[in-house]
Amino acid sequence: MKKYIFGLLFFSLFLSGCWDRRELNQLAIAVAFGFDKVDDEYLVSAQVVVPSEMSVNGGTGKSQVTLFTARGETVYEAFRKMTKESPRKIYPGHLQMLVIGEELAEEGIGKSLDVLSRDPEIRPDFYVVIAKESAATDILNVTTTIESVPANKMFKSLKVSEEAWAGTKSINLDELLTDLISEGKEAAVTGIRLIGDPKIGSSKQNVESIKPAATLQYDHLAVFKGDKLVGWLNENETVAYSYISNTVKSTARPISCPNEGVATIEVIKSKAEVKGDVKNGKPEININVQVKGNVGSVQCEINLNDLETIAELEKSFEKKGEENGKRTIESLQKNYNVDIFGFGEAIHRSNPKEWHKLKNNWDEEFSELTTNIKVDLTILRTGTTDRTFLEKVQE
Amino acid sequence: MMQNIKINAYQFLALVTFFSMGTSILIIPAVLAEGAKQDAWIAAIFGTIIGIIVIWLFCLLAQWFPNLTFVQINEKILGKWIGKAVSLVFVFMAFIYAASLLFYSGTFLNIHLMPNTPMIALNILLALVVVIGVSLGLETIARSAEIFILFFTILFILLVFFILPEIKLENIQPIFEAGPLPILKSSASFIEVTAVDAVVLLMIFPAFINNLKQAKKSFYIGYLIGGLVIIILTFLSIAVLGPYSTAAEYHPSYELAKRINVGDFIQRIEALMAGIWILALYFKTSLYFFASVFGLAQILNLKDYKPLIVPLGAIVVVLSLILYPNVIYQKQWNATIGMYYSYSIGVVLPIVLIIVNALRKTHLKKEKAS
Repeated sequence: MKKYIFGLLFFSLFLSGCWDRRELNQLAIAVAFGFDKVDDEYLVSAQVVVPSEMSVNGGTGKSQVTLFTARGETVYEAFRKMTKESPRKIYPGHLQMLVIGEELAEEGIGKSLDVLSRDPEIRPDFYVVIAKESAATDILNVTTTIESVPANKMFKSLKVSEEAWAGTKSINLDELLTDLISEGKEAAVTGIRLIGDPKIGSSKQNVESIKPAATLQYDHLAVFKGDKLVGWLNENETVAYSYISNTVKSTARPISCPNEGVATIEVIKSKAEVKGDVKNGKPEININVQVKGNVGSVQCEINLNDLETIAELEKSFEKKGEENGKRTIESLQKNYNVDIFGFGEAIHRSNPKEWHKLKNNWDEEFSELTTNIKVDLTILRTGTTDRTFLEKVQE
Repeated sequence: MMQNIKINAYQFLALVTFFSMGTSILIIPAVLAEGAKQDAWIAAIFGTIIGIIVIWLFCLLAQWFPNLTFVQINEKILGKWIGKAVSLVFVFMAFIYAASLLFYSGTFLNIHLMPNTPMIALNILLALVVVIGVSLGLETIARSAEIFILFFTILFILLVFFILPEIKLENIQPIFEAGPLPILKSSASFIEVTAVDAVVLLMIFPAFINNLKQAKKSFYIGYLIGGLVIIILTFLSIAVLGPYSTAAEYHPSYELAKRINVGDFIQRIEALMAGIWILALYFKTSLYFFASVFGLAQILNLKDYKPLIVPLGAIVVVLSLILYPNVIYQKQWNATIGMYYSYSIGVVLPIVLIIVNALRKTHLKKEKAS
């Protein structure tokens, strides 16, 4: 008996397998999706890597990615329809970017995103961006340098510019969905633009020259009301948004010197506190931004060894920051009437009872909201030198 | 009939811990967040505290009859026929829940890991291990629980440790917004799966326990450990995913494991973490199945319960496939019929037993005195 059982177990070793097995050569690994709307139908584009060109041996010099497109009444239908063109089933597990066309964004993005939160193969940690003044499929159709997979370029570019520049703001699907359903916060998504000639942009020729004919650049911030795009913030406003929503890691800001000329402050740390309050039934928001920075460059004749100069530089930065913040909030209150900062949520946290009265007409309350913004900069260092050679330059 | 088998207090503790976490680990954060929103973790704390009263009820009953199983206690207190009838209802509950847990694990694997594998294949695999475990006996299950609780602890600590950086405290604020009533209401189902369903543990406690006093302690401690695990998981789900996603997901704690990303290096380890749920599900299923098989054998006055294992094992697999037509039905069933069923067997029945027993005792005393 034991012999038989042993034999059975032994042979079952060779019979084992996995029902849902899908080998690497059966997958079309998608790294970026693009959603557009064309005549009441979704146009879905998938940027898929070409494994043979990605190999260590170098491939044959063809493009490392290819683009499949399909149209369908629903996004999910279009995904499956893509197999008409693609020899392999699209596998979205390594998705890095989702590009949404401006037209679709104006119509509303919510309906197209449901499938992404439902499908078990999709992980909600990819970035979402809005294609400004173009269709998503055109954005995915541009070759890029340094990173030869365009989706990687878009992903890394957004990550690095958010960390080093603060004029862009990344958002992944998870955060976007949270903002879309939140009662006290609206979504804001960074824009991406195709600059140059899109016809050459899709060819290998594009990256063969030193300055490519077409490039992709992050610019502006799309403001949403519900799930509909209502407007764009410019770069300065985006910076203010980044400060208030506490995502600034490091950036460089030009400020005016006490006399004349400019200097740059290298921000190395920023922490914003947004506190809600309700006074006599009127909501109020207090923003306190603590910034730490260095003197990054000096383009004027000042004496850095004087503590007063340092204090004046700090004051100049604070004033500029406060003004910019105030202007941004006012512009949102006047032009769009959209609370992308999550002020409503701040009031929900601090005064939950009053919030239940306010939330029903929060848009109106927001447009009349009193906000106090205070920026506080501490200059820590001045680089490798404590003076500027500009003083000694002979005229 | 296997009365000579005894398990020690520590093994019982492992079993109780696995039992009270079993299914709750996967679904309870969602159920709690449905009603209590960001206060779901407070509801879990409430539930744990109230659940202690239920456990106390079981211990009270057990200490009067230190050598009998729940089925035997029913017969002793309620008489032969009523007792057997009530026991049948109890055994049926344990059996349905065993099938229900198979359905759970099948759907879980179907949704997240193996979408194209037929559920029957997944259910047969788990049921096979359960059948093997139960036919090897209670002692074997208890000993393996003793070993696997270590694996469980390590994996759970890793999960908590890795997810800590993703916490956003804004998600749990404002605290106590829901108010006491919704919090209490949503903790009802928490109490059901962690404490009330533990009535099936009365099939091994106290009959197969070698030290009643210590085992009573492990009943409480095991339950509290299970409760603590759920409280931590609920808190993490709310703090990382937010109240909406926690309520919207079928398996929020799995979604939690998906979010793990330590320095772009330790990531995509959710399949490893799924091991936690499968372990807990396995032990809970085994205990339900053991209770139904052993209980049926005692109702029918069989000498040995083992001949029942394979046929009931086959039935439980089939039942798991036809029990619920779809996942939404299962969710509704749990919130309504399942809830009433559990509370009447796990709370009402023990109270009735205690009252009847107390009445009979005073009656007997009076008779003796007269």
